[in-house]
Amino acid sequence: MPLLKIDNAELEVESGITVLQAATANGIEIPHYCYHPALETVGSCRMCIVQIEGMPKLQVSCNTFVGEAPPDKKIDEKYDMVVHTQTELVKQERKNVLEFLLLNHPLDCPVCDQAGECFLQDYAFKFGNAHSRFEEEKRVRPSEYLGSQIVINQNRCIMCTRCVRFTRQISGTGELFVQKRGYDFKISALEDQPLDNLLAGNVTDICPVGALLSTDYIHKNRIWNLHEQPSVCQDCSVGCNINVFYQKDRIFRVSPRENHDANGYFICDIGRYGFHRFEEIERVTSPMRRDEDELTEIQWDEAIKVVAKNLSDAKEKIVFVASPFHTNETNFMLGRFQKGFFGALPLIEEEGITYPSGFCINGDRSPNHRGMNDVCPSILEDMASEIDQQNIKVMYILDDGVDRELDQEWKEILMKMDFVVVQSYALTEVAESAHIILPGLAPFEREGTVTNDQGRVQWLRPSLPLKGKARPDWRIIMEVVNTMGQQELSYSDVGEVLAEMGKCFPAYKGVSLFRLGDYGLSINGKVESS
Amino acid sequence: MSDFQPILTEHIHQKECHTLSFYKSVGGYSALEKVLAMSADDVIELVKASNLRGRGGAGFPAGVKWSFIPQDGEKPKYLINNADESEPGTFKDRLLINKTPHQILEGMIVASYAIGCNTAFIYIRGEFFKEYQLLEKVVAEAYEENLLGKGILGSDYDLDVVIHRGAGAYICGEETGLIESLEGKRGWPRIKPPFPAIEGYLKCPTVVNNVETLSNLPHIINRGPEWFKSIGPEKGPGPKLFCVSGNVNRPGVFEEPMGIPLKDLIFDLAGGIKDGNELKAVFPGGSSSAILTAEEALSVNMDFDSLAEIKTMLGSAGVIVMDEKVDMVQACLNIARFYAHESCGQCTPCREGTAWLSKILSRIASGDGNSNDIDMILEITDNIGGLIDFSKGSFGKTICPFGEAVAWPVRSFVEKFENDFRQYISQEESVA
Amino acid sequence: MSDNNFHKDSFEYVNSDLVDNILSQYPDKRSATLPLLHLAQTQEGYISNAVVDTVAQITETHPAEVMDCASFYTMFYSRVQGRYILQVCQTLSCSLNGADALVDHITDRYGIGPGETTTDGKFTLMKVECLGSCGTAPVVQINNDYHEGLSKEKLDELLESLQ
Repeated sequence: MPLLKIDNAELEVESGITVLQAATANGIEIPHYCYHPALETVGSCRMCIVQIEGMPKLQVSCNTFVGEAPPDKKIDEKYDMVVHTQTELVKQERKNVLEFLLLNHPLDCPVCDQAGECFLQDYAFKFGNAHSRFEEEKRVRPSEYLGSQIVINQNRCIMCTRCVRFTRQISGTGELFVQKRGYDFKISALEDQPLDNLLAGNVTDICPVGALLSTDYIHKNRIWNLHEQPSVCQDCSVGCNINVFYQKDRIFRVSPRENHDANGYFICDIGRYGFHRFEEIERVTSPMRRDEDELTEIQWDEAIKVVAKNLSDAKEKIVFVASPFHTNETNFMLGRFQKGFFGALPLIEEEGITYPSGFCINGDRSPNHRGMNDVCPSILEDMASEIDQQNIKVMYILDDGVDRELDQEWKEILMKMDFVVVQSYALTEVAESAHIILPGLAPFEREGTVTNDQGRVQWLRPSLPLKGKARPDWRIIMEVVNTMGQQELSYSDVGEVLAEMGKCFPAYKGVSLFRLGDYGLSINGKVESS
Repeated sequence: MSDFQPILTEHIHQKECHTLSFYKSVGGYSALEKVLAMSADDVIELVKASNLRGRGGAGFPAGVKWSFIPQDGEKPKYLINNADESEPGTFKDRLLINKTPHQILEGMIVASYAIGCNTAFIYIRGEFFKEYQLLEKVVAEAYEENLLGKGILGSDYDLDVVIHRGAGAYICGEETGLIESLEGKRGWPRIKPPFPAIEGYLKCPTVVNNVETLSNLPHIINRGPEWFKSIGPEKGPGPKLFCVSGNVNRPGVFEEPMGIPLKDLIFDLAGGIKDGNELKAVFPGGSSSAILTAEEALSVNMDFDSLAEIKTMLGSAGVIVMDEKVDMVQACLNIARFYAHESCGQCTPCREGTAWLSKILSRIASGDGNSNDIDMILEITDNIGGLIDFSKGSFGKTICPFGEAVAWPVRSFVEKFENDFRQYISQEESVA
Repeated sequence: MSDNNFHKDSFEYVNSDLVDNILSQYPDKRSATLPLLHLAQTQEGYISNAVVDTVAQITETHPAEVMDCASFYTMFYSRVQGRYILQVCQTLSCSLNGADALVDHITDRYGIGPGETTTDGKFTLMKVECLGSCGTAPVVQINNDYHEGLSKEKLDELLESLQ
């Protein structure tokens, strides 16, 4: 393995790695704009310039490869390459590049969304000059829509072309292009082919400055007001890693979080803007009882008692409907009901898309189909005939909150029931057929684990507080189980439920929230109940 | 007048000099016959031995460039004839194309054979339309005479030649910019590595050679590397086409040995300065070279190393002569504006710096200069292209040599004619 | 491609044999972009959105990539120009030999500045960079032809002779 020296650090690196990659992997900062690990290297911003011993010219570290040097070419008899990032020449060069970039860049920080997470600000502060010496007229151009949700502020653009390369190499849709050349160069899209593909939002993340902006987030908040919660997207079974930015009880933005075992660097727009769905939804925040056609709010005690009694009376003639939209812990808890059958609501399937870079949006729009099947086994294929055969009259449904239109078969099933409990956070068509509604949590309020279609278990973390009298779904089920009198389950938090799950299903053994951390664990072994 | 017997332009005054029959009558394509009986490696060695250096501007040894092409591997190899002559002050390739197109073609076939290429391109600047039409005829003729196509002259070597028109971009004369343009994209130069010899056109090994460089090849094959080396300095020998334009009585292309004194070119061959004026400054190697004062011009020889020693370059040998009546500020602005127009815009220093320079110079030229401007210009040129002192290691700030190409001439104007600039500025300041 | 109300004319090459011939010369379809754009401009006078779409189809690339390429080069026009495009070289050697005066002369006589077209659509004036014929400065390129060593008088004669 070649031995690389960057300033005072001695690093053993893989042959063929670039100096910039080696530095970044070892916590050494080399400022850069146009380089992005997912995109082809162009070396055009010139910000990552360093001095390399033995090379007469200044070099861009994003395109300088480290390899084994022949023994007579090693420096100080041991280093295959020696890189200097703190010489006067390099420091001066960084100042120069920043000065050039700031020539036409407007002093927009007070009104620019990127402030606080802007690489131009950061580098200008760390490596730049305090003053601009430009006395000429600035290049000024109007902002433009590149797509229905993407705006470009042309004056802030530093022309790193990351966005253009993204649409060519990652989404493969090629909407963005460079118009003209030289000083007049600007990023454009054709009027009849706007940037509207499902990965479009990612360009606002990879834009190092506040040029590419999402209309969803423009002028809504400031990054320093927001809390950043790492979590997992729940809009399909890929389980992209995300960061949820929230303030008090409102989510402002969802951005991708890097995880090479799940989504890579990006997320799709469905997951990016999906949190808005929960802002307008009609929430259920209190236990309710249906009398004829009216829903009345009742107390938790009463609700749980009624449910428990009905379930106990029905003995094993109950169907418990699990949900691929709920966490493993919730589904696992459902499995703790000792008598009865298990089913699931119909899956929501849409078109799956695979992009040239390999990034997928799965057709299965539930986040935890695999997990549900893992920890709530014996889900019936043909729930309807079992209900008929066994003459089942009681149902306990974990609703997913998606306001779906039920098909005729489901409508008939529900009509046959004497007693339906629906655990939901929204008044869906399913919930409206319930005799008792138990208020659970909405997706961004939940905590637990989900397992994606590749067998990766990931930690879902809440960003929003509970609403009204709603309770965590797994806890509701636990209380019902306990009230039925047959068991005494006493888990105080999700972690304990997870631990118990591991005892029952060997694949999940040893999976703890601590071990899951930010990136999850793969459990591709066979899952059996013990 | 000169007593050098021209080699490349020996027959250009004959009416039919561009035809195949004429070319053959003066020994044309005999070099090709010789080459087809040699191994490709031997051809490369021969050209290496001749010390032929590129005539496009960079002066890189042609044989050495060819030897970088990997001979193993299954990827097809490509030769590209760079006929994108756009360097201000340069007009020699146009002459060669119009008058000796078959000489160029023969050189192309020799070069293609040497590197193992079966499809070669001529990238000709879009504005040379008549020249493009002529080349189409020439290539068609060559196919008919089995000088191109399958089994050239009965050998087992095949070669196709495709003529590709550019569309108005100076930067497409740069090797990797040209390759990008040939691939159907904007002519944005590429970072190196990878080098074109390994991954060039369509990621295959590619050699780009200038028209004049290729034109020398038949003669080197026929008369040998020793003969070639005997013309001019041994490290950068051969006959050279020098272009002289600007304020001279007889502007034109002059074929002389490498190393001819610049003063002979200007005062002898080009008939001296118009209207009896005095020489003030001259570009020795196209507008990308640092200018020389009259004093420097009178004592330097026109070859790669002599000019490099006085911190300028031979480049494309486009000599632009400026006399005492020429306003140095306006001339500098003219050049700066050219580079700002032609900057491809990819990299930060060039894109922003060329425009900045143009704006400052514009301001000075229109009487609005101030006392900071001169230092500012010097600094900006340093920030784009570094100093003309490679030992300082301060170059490499841009992806391609365009940075140096704008920095060196503009800097040289300001350094060598500082008073001219100061006069403009102090006029304004004294008026204010 | 999105199906909205954006109207554009479509473009077809009048001579598809030429198109096939061009494509057959290159090992890769995309390399045919520049010759196809030249051919289209000869036919249409400029590179319209419709041309871009057609070229994109033929070369199997995105229309945006074709537009990216076309907008880079000064010889491709984004709108129709006059019948005769007067391209006056303004770079150093021509400038030293009176090119600036030629531009002014055209402006005085025909009332058009650089980038402008006469109202009858006959002449468009453009200032261009080095045309590669510095030895015969000043040089004006009119459409595809070079006119070298011009003076104001010779230029007048030349322009008057143009139908």
